[in-house]
Amino acid sequence: MSTEPTGPAAWPEFGYRGPVQDRDCEALIIGAGYAGLSAARELTRAGIDVLVLEARDRVGGRVWTTTTATGATVDHGGQWIGPGQDRLQKLADESGAETFPTFTTGEAVEWRDGNRATYAGLIPTSDTTAAADGIEAIFELDLASAHIPLEAPWDAPEARLRDEQTLGSWLAATVTSAGARNIITAAVKSIFGTEPGELSLLFTLFYLHSGGGLMNLARTTNGAQERRFAGGAQQCALYLAHELAGRVLLSSPVSSVAYGPDGVTAIVDRPEPGGHPVRVRARRCIVAMPPALSVRLDWTPPLPGRRDQLSMRAPMGSVTKIHAVYDRPFWRDHGLNGQVVSDQGAVRVSFDDSPPEASHGILLGFIAGDECRALDSATPAVRAEVALADFVRYFGPQAAHPLELVEQHWPAERYTRGGPVAVFSPGLLTGFGPALRDPVGPVHWAGTETATVWCGYIDGALSSGVRAAAEVLAALSH
Amino acid sequence: MADRDEIAEAYADWRVRCNENDRLRRMLRGWDRVVHLVATDTGDRFTVEVRDQMLAELADGAEAVPDLVVTATSEDFADLFWGDLNPSEKYMSGEITLAGAQEDVMRLDAMSMVAFLDQ
Repeated sequence: MSTEPTGPAAWPEFGYRGPVQDRDCEALIIGAGYAGLSAARELTRAGIDVLVLEARDRVGGRVWTTTTATGATVDHGGQWIGPGQDRLQKLADESGAETFPTFTTGEAVEWRDGNRATYAGLIPTSDTTAAADGIEAIFELDLASAHIPLEAPWDAPEARLRDEQTLGSWLAATVTSAGARNIITAAVKSIFGTEPGELSLLFTLFYLHSGGGLMNLARTTNGAQERRFAGGAQQCALYLAHELAGRVLLSSPVSSVAYGPDGVTAIVDRPEPGGHPVRVRARRCIVAMPPALSVRLDWTPPLPGRRDQLSMRAPMGSVTKIHAVYDRPFWRDHGLNGQVVSDQGAVRVSFDDSPPEASHGILLGFIAGDECRALDSATPAVRAEVALADFVRYFGPQAAHPLELVEQHWPAERYTRGGPVAVFSPGLLTGFGPALRDPVGPVHWAGTETATVWCGYIDGALSSGVRAAAEVLAALSH
Repeated sequence: MADRDEIAEAYADWRVRCNENDRLRRMLRGWDRVVHLVATDTGDRFTVEVRDQMLAELADGAEAVPDLVVTATSEDFADLFWGDLNPSEKYMSGEITLAGAQEDVMRLDAMSMVAFLDQ
């Protein structure tokens, strides 16, 4: 049994492979996730000389697909596409990436107070009062979220009051049923990778509005988890990288950026044997990284306090994704759809992540928030063992014998340091909000955290790249 | 298959329970809407009006311009109103569809779940 991704998948030869030398370009993009690639595409199409620097040896950022030892395709990061994610759908259509419905036939498993039950529909029903309380709470959050202006959530009614609260304090004050709080907490943890008490209520409401509401974000069918990519969610990023052939440099971590009125100079540490630092100069720069990572670059002069301190208030969530790969999806024989909502254990939310033709059976488990942190210093083998015990609890003894277990512990990933998204702490939006997108001299900001629609999702990353590219085009045309 | 009379009878029962449900009354605040029900198998159409936090009696036929359109089989409408059918399950499987503004869909989705759970 292996516990590491056994990929990498065969990376197509899109990257620049020749000797790396100092060079100049019009627009430098730091980060080849969906945001950076989207920005690069826009600028390249407008005739701008672009260079994309990516620290990892792959594109896609928080979206990463590999093929496991037994030949299963797994997404270690972002993986779903749902209604309203039009930019991603358009890109999928263009690239020929096929999607298929998330498996939802049958019942889900609820684990509550040490007891196992099954249920149909969106929400566990063993305690109907808790379920109704939970629905009402989600309803109230979604109604409140609809009044948050997406371009400027800091201008929302009672913005400061809400930004001083957390989702956790709101739940404690509003939802009397512990069962209802547990259901919402399980959903929130897998969406944000964090505990409700760490999320600004204002940010939560903004995020919900941005993605069409918590009900929408929690759903498979008719919601954000409706469909998956047959060949993995990274393939659209690979498609963009192909299009940008030669303009994307992999394994090129930027260590420092100097900026001024004339542009930027970035220093790239080439980690390969014999590699030497390379200097890239550009008139404009787009930083397509989560805020917390953007300030790990050494900025000269230091970034303005507002931008720098914003980044200090936007830590990454804590999430591990575990895929248990079986020869077939045996739970389907028992009328189960692979989904779990639990108040106990390391894995508290799961999905059926099998390929469309069910050539393998794959259970995807999320270890999020406190559980992820508690297992942070454990070895991958220990995390796998803990997750497997949870799968056995939910799906029976057949779950004990996977062909392989594959995990991705995002907090330890050098160039991501957590996930799935950045978590905005109380006070960020009202104290620092505009600094999310306001350019700093020649430096512009992209990344899904800067998106107004589908913030935190691949679609939001794409639109953020388009927005930042438009800013750069406008600046260069002056 | 359920005929118009059976659906009307089931709705009348459901309406009483909904209008006596404090939680649903809270959730209906400020939400006056016209909802059309379309039975996919029989083609029967009905109109439900929500006004002042109360469900009105079922009207035969599609009256006025709807804010929301719900489609399902006649049997599912009857089962839903008798309280035997989990609307969330049917919505998830695509057997019940809701068409309307996003917020209206969310509201009806949530309220139908509460009506099922709180009976």
